[in-house]
Amino acid sequence: MDNREVVLRLSDITMQFGGVVAVDNLNLVVHKNEIVGLIGPNGAGKTTAFNCITGVYEPTNGSVEINGKVVIENHPQGKMKEAYKGRNAGKYTKAITMLPDKVTKLGVARTFQNIRLFKGMTVLENVMVAMHMNQTESVFGATFRSKKARTEEAAMRAEAEELLRKVELFENRNDLATSLPYGKQRHLEIARALATHPSILLLDEPAAGMNPQESDDLMKFIGRIRDEFDLSILMIEHHMQVIMGICEHIYVLNYGGQIADGTPAEIQANPAVIEAYLGGDE
Amino acid sequence: MLQTWLPYILAGIAVGGQYALIAIGYTMVYGILRLINFAHGDVFMWSGLIMVYLITVLPLWVSVILVIIFAIVLGTTIEKVAYRPLRSAPRMSIMISAIGVSYLLQNFALYITGGLTKTYPEIGFLQKTIKIGSATTKMVTVITPVLTIVLVFLLVMLIKHTKIGMAMRAVSRDFETSSLMGIDINRVITVTFVIGCGLAAIGSVLYFSNYTGINPMSGAMPGLKAFVAAVFGGIGSVPGAVVGAFVIGICENLIKGAGWTTFSDAFTFVLLIVILMVKPTGLFGEKNIDKV
Amino acid sequence: METTLNKKTKSVLSVAAIALFLVFVYLGDIMISPGSSWKMLITVIEKGSIYALVAASMNLLNGFTGLFSLGQAGFMLIGAYTYAIFTIPAASHDAVYQYFEGGAIKWSIVEALEGSLGVFGHYLGMLIPMLGAGLLVAVIAFLIGIPVLRLKSDYLAIATLGFAEILRAFFQWNTLGPVTNGSNVLRKYTTYGNAIFPVLISMLCIAIILLLINSTYGRAFRAIRDDEIAAEAMGINLFKHKEISFVISSFFAGISGALLAMFQTTINATPFNTVMTYEILLIVVIGGIGSITGSVIGAFLFTAASEWWLRGLDAGRWLGISASFMRPGFRKVVFAVLIMLIVLFYSRGIMGDKEFSWDRFISGLKNLPANLKAWPSRRKAKAAAKREARAANAAARSRAKEAKASNEARKASGEALFTPLEVSDTVIVFDKEGK
Repeated sequence: MDNREVVLRLSDITMQFGGVVAVDNLNLVVHKNEIVGLIGPNGAGKTTAFNCITGVYEPTNGSVEINGKVVIENHPQGKMKEAYKGRNAGKYTKAITMLPDKVTKLGVARTFQNIRLFKGMTVLENVMVAMHMNQTESVFGATFRSKKARTEEAAMRAEAEELLRKVELFENRNDLATSLPYGKQRHLEIARALATHPSILLLDEPAAGMNPQESDDLMKFIGRIRDEFDLSILMIEHHMQVIMGICEHIYVLNYGGQIADGTPAEIQANPAVIEAYLGGDE
Repeated sequence: MLQTWLPYILAGIAVGGQYALIAIGYTMVYGILRLINFAHGDVFMWSGLIMVYLITVLPLWVSVILVIIFAIVLGTTIEKVAYRPLRSAPRMSIMISAIGVSYLLQNFALYITGGLTKTYPEIGFLQKTIKIGSATTKMVTVITPVLTIVLVFLLVMLIKHTKIGMAMRAVSRDFETSSLMGIDINRVITVTFVIGCGLAAIGSVLYFSNYTGINPMSGAMPGLKAFVAAVFGGIGSVPGAVVGAFVIGICENLIKGAGWTTFSDAFTFVLLIVILMVKPTGLFGEKNIDKV
Repeated sequence: METTLNKKTKSVLSVAAIALFLVFVYLGDIMISPGSSWKMLITVIEKGSIYALVAASMNLLNGFTGLFSLGQAGFMLIGAYTYAIFTIPAASHDAVYQYFEGGAIKWSIVEALEGSLGVFGHYLGMLIPMLGAGLLVAVIAFLIGIPVLRLKSDYLAIATLGFAEILRAFFQWNTLGPVTNGSNVLRKYTTYGNAIFPVLISMLCIAIILLLINSTYGRAFRAIRDDEIAAEAMGINLFKHKEISFVISSFFAGISGALLAMFQTTINATPFNTVMTYEILLIVVIGGIGSITGSVIGAFLFTAASEWWLRGLDAGRWLGISASFMRPGFRKVVFAVLIMLIVLFYSRGIMGDKEFSWDRFISGLKNLPANLKAWPSRRKAKAAAKREARAANAAARSRAKEAKASNEARKASGEALFTPLEVSDTVIVFDKEGK
């Protein structure tokens, strides 16, 4: 069906907290340059799925593959062995964990549902922080302003300013990040994620709290950065207008479980999805 | 073999019980406010100090009751004045406030005592010697663990079966939600401090009667150890703190028995590091998952 | 309104101010006679600069990396001892280590280098053990950091505080007597001749801390402070950066310990206790958490107040008032109360999280008369706002009371207000059975 290269693959990802299965056997694929949507009612486990991909949580079972390499894998262990309520318990044998910063280094960047900017820092600094991991100078050299440190710092600043120009935040570069209006904070968070040079971008409800005009702009913006930065995008969103307008493929979660996936048109016609959103007959 | 170690084990159980009474205050306050109450050890020290002054004019039982009341008043006042206004401030601010209170209490004690070590009164019946097996020991050694267990049992009953206990459990689980549910947070916190400080005062009577003197720094070390006990048991868990306190008390005395007195204090912190490396949530602690 | 000086003018101003200050300290120490009360000023500058360094190092952790560490006194202790042990002249060993047969180390680095390099060797001999003190502390901090920095910041506070307590016991351990002199004081080690020495070293170290904070690593530290989860998502290795901050902070705490040893001329492990750490932390708070300038100002104010301005409170006479309750210890009580007031009502401290800048300084001076004039009306406005807030509070309270009354009524009529929690649902539980 899709011949493009697979950049992100979740296989049987299950996340169980105590007795609650927050994500139940999620299988999801993102192809190169594809924009994929992850939707579902509140509490369906969408953000939890993001956290499993980015290493914030260790999934209870399943594996995450990034650019063709398995980077996270787990199976129920210890107490969880008996408590496990999910499927495919015997399928995975390895336990590979990865800290969030390593995942980011592999080219997966993310934004957060409840904007998490660095409050005490300016707009420019927020973006420059995200470039810190790519600089190579030691603390010693950086402190004493070695030639390399100065070159790298200058390069970082130039790139950050360029990035801010692209997201139309250059004028605000010296303002405190938290002093920006809400919509601009969302843009800044995306710019900050882009500064890590990702190949895959995870957006957690980027249009939350936006009016139709703003979300329309955002939609165009996401399409533009996908082309400009050669990205593959996985996004969680509630605004159907945004999701249906921009995503090539959509996955639907409900109560942790995956109830449907397909093109926007297929999803719109899917009775299970309609039931999940509108509530079926009792 | 047992003959040589028995006195140390007995002493350890006694000290453990005393640490347990302090540790409960730490663990409950942490459970509810997520605050390391650095001033708790100083409330404990002040209880001891007040006892020194009270006993000169009042009979023993009146003094003990007044000491407990004093500790409760001191503890709840500290909470009202120094912690409550900062409840919505960053967590570091409230910890700094706790350190400020500790600094104030220590300096005030220093001023009152003139920096001298005060002689702790001899409490007749606690000092009576009794024989357990082959070992001769003081009455306090026997009374402490029994009293500790009884008090902890009562506390657990309170937490489990009363309305305020239920409110405490709710608040420790989710501060915000429980306040939305109509639980009077201030009352819960006050009760927590009342219990913690009351127990610390009882602990101070038992603890200091083992020592001849008390000075403004006397609260620091038992306080730290009790906190480690709380961490060891899983912070927020009352039984955990009690178990932790007994473990620390006994090990510490065994180390003393082995002739390594200098390092009996150090052991506590080695234990802390070890538990943090092996099981950061402590013996009975639950894993807390931060919401992202 | 906004006055901006160009960069060159600012640098010139800074260099001039620093040079002037150094000359003042140097000449002051030489020219002011020991009996004069102005000598106190020099002492305050000496001690203040040492505390400024350790406060800045603590601020690097607490204010810039968001790590709540309370090990500063312990680290200073190691620094002080390391320096002292290696600089006691050979001839003084018998007198210093009188209970330990002259001690185990029979030589002094200062003397060894003085012999071959003269005056230069003398100062090199002081700098090497000082640097060694810092490095040793850094290594120890690195080791403590491995288990502790992976955990929540709370545990770091307790672990470092506990570690500092162990250190005190360790350094007073009789078995180590030949090196540490057990519980006896170390003395007769080489100290500096002029107050400019600690001032200069502190300045240098604080400058390095400032450079670090303004580097890309400093940015990463601040990101961790602001939001650990977001920092990690931006590819910042939390553990590595916390270790870096912790080790560097400890290094400078070690240096300041060495300087303190020189300042005091004798040292003993006893005063390096929790109270000392608390004092350093309170200096940081007074100055403003997240401002190095604040820490420096805080350190000088703290030392001036405790060593100089409030002295009279201990002696029974202060500002012309004499009272019998002003006896030794009263100064510290007043002091502690002042600090509590700052913590509770002025928690941003003097500088907040801002650093000194000439622009702000000059515009501040320019606006001073206007601000002073506006002060009474501003205060009135503030008081009015407070009254309003109080009224709103009272209204909210009465509403809450009404709600409570209606709840009580509903309860009385048998309505369930909320469903009880399960016993096993909680953190504070006695047994874990059934879980």
